[in-house]
Amino acid sequence: MVFLLCAFVPLSLCPSLRRRRPMESKYDFVKKYREQVLQCSRCGFCQAVCPVYGATLRPSYNARGKMLILKEVMDGKIPLNDELVETLCQCTTCASCHKNCPSGVNVPEIIKEVRKDLVHIGSCHPAFKGMNEVLEKNTNIYAEEKGPDFGRAKNQKAEVVFFIGCVGTYREDEATEATLDLLDRIGVKYTLIDEVCCSGVLEDVGYQLNERLAKKNIELILATGAKTVVTGCPYCSRTFNKKPQYQELKDKGVKVIHVSQLLKDFDLGVKTDKKVTYHDPCDLGRHCDIYDEPRETIRKIAPGFVELPHNRVDALCCGAGGGVRGAFPKNSLAMARRRLQEAEDAGAEVVLTECNSCVHNLANAKLRKQKFRICTTTQFINELMEAKEA
Amino acid sequence: MDIQGYKMPDELYYEENHFWIKEEGDFLVMGMDDFAQKLAGEIVYVQLPEEGKELSVGKKFAKIESGKWLGKAFAPVNGELAGVNEELETNPGLINQDCYGKGWMYKIKAQDKAEIKKLIHGPDALTKWVLADIEKYKK
Repeated sequence: MVFLLCAFVPLSLCPSLRRRRPMESKYDFVKKYREQVLQCSRCGFCQAVCPVYGATLRPSYNARGKMLILKEVMDGKIPLNDELVETLCQCTTCASCHKNCPSGVNVPEIIKEVRKDLVHIGSCHPAFKGMNEVLEKNTNIYAEEKGPDFGRAKNQKAEVVFFIGCVGTYREDEATEATLDLLDRIGVKYTLIDEVCCSGVLEDVGYQLNERLAKKNIELILATGAKTVVTGCPYCSRTFNKKPQYQELKDKGVKVIHVSQLLKDFDLGVKTDKKVTYHDPCDLGRHCDIYDEPRETIRKIAPGFVELPHNRVDALCCGAGGGVRGAFPKNSLAMARRRLQEAEDAGAEVVLTECNSCVHNLANAKLRKQKFRICTTTQFINELMEAKEA
Repeated sequence: MDIQGYKMPDELYYEENHFWIKEEGDFLVMGMDDFAQKLAGEIVYVQLPEEGKELSVGKKFAKIESGKWLGKAFAPVNGELAGVNEELETNPGLINQDCYGKGWMYKIKAQDKAEIKKLIHGPDALTKWVLADIEKYKK
């Protein structure tokens, strides 16, 4: 009967043929990543490495779960709406899943696109919406009116611009002060600028990088005449190097590096006998392949360096990225606690990292019984130098 | 007492950044008031420094964080930190649930307990101060 009916209706209306020629989707994630979503073989390798799954043990929160849900959305079986916000927004975009996926599915990029679709249909996590609103009206992600005065020259002609980043300015200012002290000690000639948020994070939470802020940063950097920007924040470095809105820096011959890339070439002349370990920030490691430089520096100052069980490309995420710290703080801290358990088990006395955001989340998650110290590599080195001078 | 929907017990003493203080035996107990916890939203982190930390009146000694706000706790008197509410380490939301009870934050050994007399206290002072801050934070 079905066969007979099909013989008399236009081909495009025949159900069996319609399945082969899907209608153009209204969602951008389908247009861009349909094949990638279908490529997920449901093997579950991602489950073993997903920090959100590790903290919540909810299969829908890991990459495989999310890909299954998106397949249902693509097939029109479930709508993309408010009910999916909790699941699809709970991803730190750490890229552990992508790096461990035998099918090569780039889950963080898919999730970022889905979040943009959620924004377009008006189903956005309020914390993500808030981030965009804050950066439309302010110059930093915390909407702080005034940051600390680091007592350094700003907007001067210099060879190097040191770009601090929002977390370093407004949340981990002591670490930043120490980093600046260290740069002074090793003789780097830098200027600070009246920097504004690089706004790269907006791309992670469903919005577009803020062009007004990008232009302001570019203008301030170029005005110094510097040919190198050293960032204290891996995310800012990644944004400057990879986002088209900052292409002008490259075009004008300005190189952007993270402070860990600068430090590796210095003879620091200090050592510690403490058992030191290192937490790879996702933005420096998996997203920029910078694993060796921080270790070169740390090995020079800490002969007792030990790796955490999950390190380099397999490092556990601290849980702060992808807007998760703001939107899901309890789970974000639970992820950080899993990471700190590794440091405790390794018997570390000092946990170093290269990201103020990681320091912030890990330090917030540290339990009082955990007696190890958490700080940036630059802060730790500066303290060793201070002690040596004293 | 209730001031425009904020529960502000008038037997307590208040430090101007919206922390309450009360005497309890040889110690002072400190916590966040209802105005601050409502303004901050869900508290996600409370710094709990080690006991014995020296406190100087008006100086920052700890940080508190909600999703949208970073607060600082300032010492209401000179003295030292004698204890912290360890429950807050894993359940900082107690501050939102019961800011004057289970959500207490710090225990202080004051050099001179009489220093609390300099803090905001009594129905009139309390009302004037809270109403002014309601106006201030409307902006």
